[in-house]
Amino acid sequence: MTELPAWGEAFAAGARDSLERHGPWGPVDRAWAFGDGSGRGLRVAIVDSGVEAGHPAVGGHLVESVAVERRGEVWEVVSTSPADVVGHGTACAGIIHALAPEADLVSIRVLGADNRGNGGAFATGLLWAIEASGASVVNLSLSSRSDALFGPLHELADEAYFRNVLLVSAANNVSVASYPSLYAAVVSVAAHDVPSAATWFYNPRPPVEFGAYGLNVDVAWLGGMRMVVTGNSFAAPHIAGYAARIRAAHPDITPFEVKAILAATADNAR
Amino acid sequence: MSEPREAVVLHALEEVAARAAAAGRLEPPAGEAVLRSVVEAAVALFDAQAVSIALPDGEADRLVIRVAAGPAGQGAVGLSFNASEGIAGYVYTTGQPLAVADVATDPRFDRRTAETTGYVPRSILAVPLLGEEGTIGVLEVLDRRGDGATGLRDLDVASLFARQAVVALRASHIERDAAELLRLTLARLAADPDADRASIDDAVAAVAAGLDEDDGRLWALADAVARARRAAPDQVALVIEILDALARRGSRPAPRSFRR
Repeated sequence: MTELPAWGEAFAAGARDSLERHGPWGPVDRAWAFGDGSGRGLRVAIVDSGVEAGHPAVGGHLVESVAVERRGEVWEVVSTSPADVVGHGTACAGIIHALAPEADLVSIRVLGADNRGNGGAFATGLLWAIEASGASVVNLSLSSRSDALFGPLHELADEAYFRNVLLVSAANNVSVASYPSLYAAVVSVAAHDVPSAATWFYNPRPPVEFGAYGLNVDVAWLGGMRMVVTGNSFAAPHIAGYAARIRAAHPDITPFEVKAILAATADNAR
Repeated sequence: MSEPREAVVLHALEEVAARAAAAGRLEPPAGEAVLRSVVEAAVALFDAQAVSIALPDGEADRLVIRVAAGPAGQGAVGLSFNASEGIAGYVYTTGQPLAVADVATDPRFDRRTAETTGYVPRSILAVPLLGEEGTIGVLEVLDRRGDGATGLRDLDVASLFARQAVVALRASHIERDAAELLRLTLARLAADPDADRASIDDAVAAVAAGLDEDDGRLWALADAVARARRAAPDQVALVIEILDALARRGSRPAPRSFRR
């Protein structure tokens, strides 16, 4: 059996001093939450269809591109050219860049000719996002309906939480169970119908806790173009972008604190 | 020496099965008629230029438009496209619906569509056909009434049509597989001169298991039910009760609660 630490040790008299935390927050508003709103010094990973590096909406902030590819029986993460096979990942990247313009972006392409929405490819990409990408916010506009992946993805969501990586996950647009959007450790997002990127709502009745701009959103698409699109897929990167602002402004906070700040600064917060 | 009577009977059955299968191909199965009515109803509801359903094309990594309706849908049946690219490809590979207005802003999309159908849509609403084992196709609504802007309910409504299509597809799948089951079973028996009742059971079960490779556990279930028919009446009643409960559960919307 793996050697486990004594869980109470961190709270012993001699150790408590190392539990350094920020002080009481005081009034929590967007000005405080976002700081300069730049997302500077932060990495956001986008697990999707790839990101077109040269798209004006990405602003040259794509710093790394990898793809999940099949090697025999296993999925491997390999370095790849910064391209998008659909346009969807570029759309998400553009939304995040618009909200956190100085954040670095990492693209993890899990879609492609040889992995038709394969859950294994998705889980492999997510693992890499959590452990190797250096990102502290991961945008997941994709999800898996596979019951077989319920357990593995649940473990990954916990792994992210324990590693201080915030997963922002779009709920499926169809009311089916999809993972990891239904796990408590992630920030789960669906679209609202207010035509404003600056509006989001907190829903105190989980599993989908946040509603963000996802209807008729003007987004970046392939070939330097733009399109108007709809889907929860486009709501998630809005929350990811705001989370990036918050994490950049408050580097020592943890995923549940980001969630609390997002809830406290939502449009329906009183 | 005359041929054993059983062999003659089996041969006759085989001939019947062959004709039944051929007839099934000549006269499109009921499932496809339902599929057509699904796209026709969707055209009427959305006041759309076209509504189509695309399904995977066997081994190739392509989707083929199987049914289409609406003024711009007529020429679309039979068109195929790459299953991992474009808007329909994204919906197919991810199981996530996607609505796009102003498609025309992507010049590559225009050219490809115009070349194949002669029709260039302004807006697309694409939803997945979600089967038990994953996404089994894509339903697309082109140029619905209005300015192309999508409402919060549009994806939900389109998804309801997609769900109807899934039910129809399952029905046509069963018809096709039933014919296949009969054919393969008879082929096995024809190859086995010592066949008895027990080997008939084994042969049917084996063939049913083979069909299950691309249809979840449906045929294994059907096989079990068929064998249960020979059980005591109260046990049969229990089986029927269980199946009835399952059927009622299956006809409800997918539960939103956690499920393993």
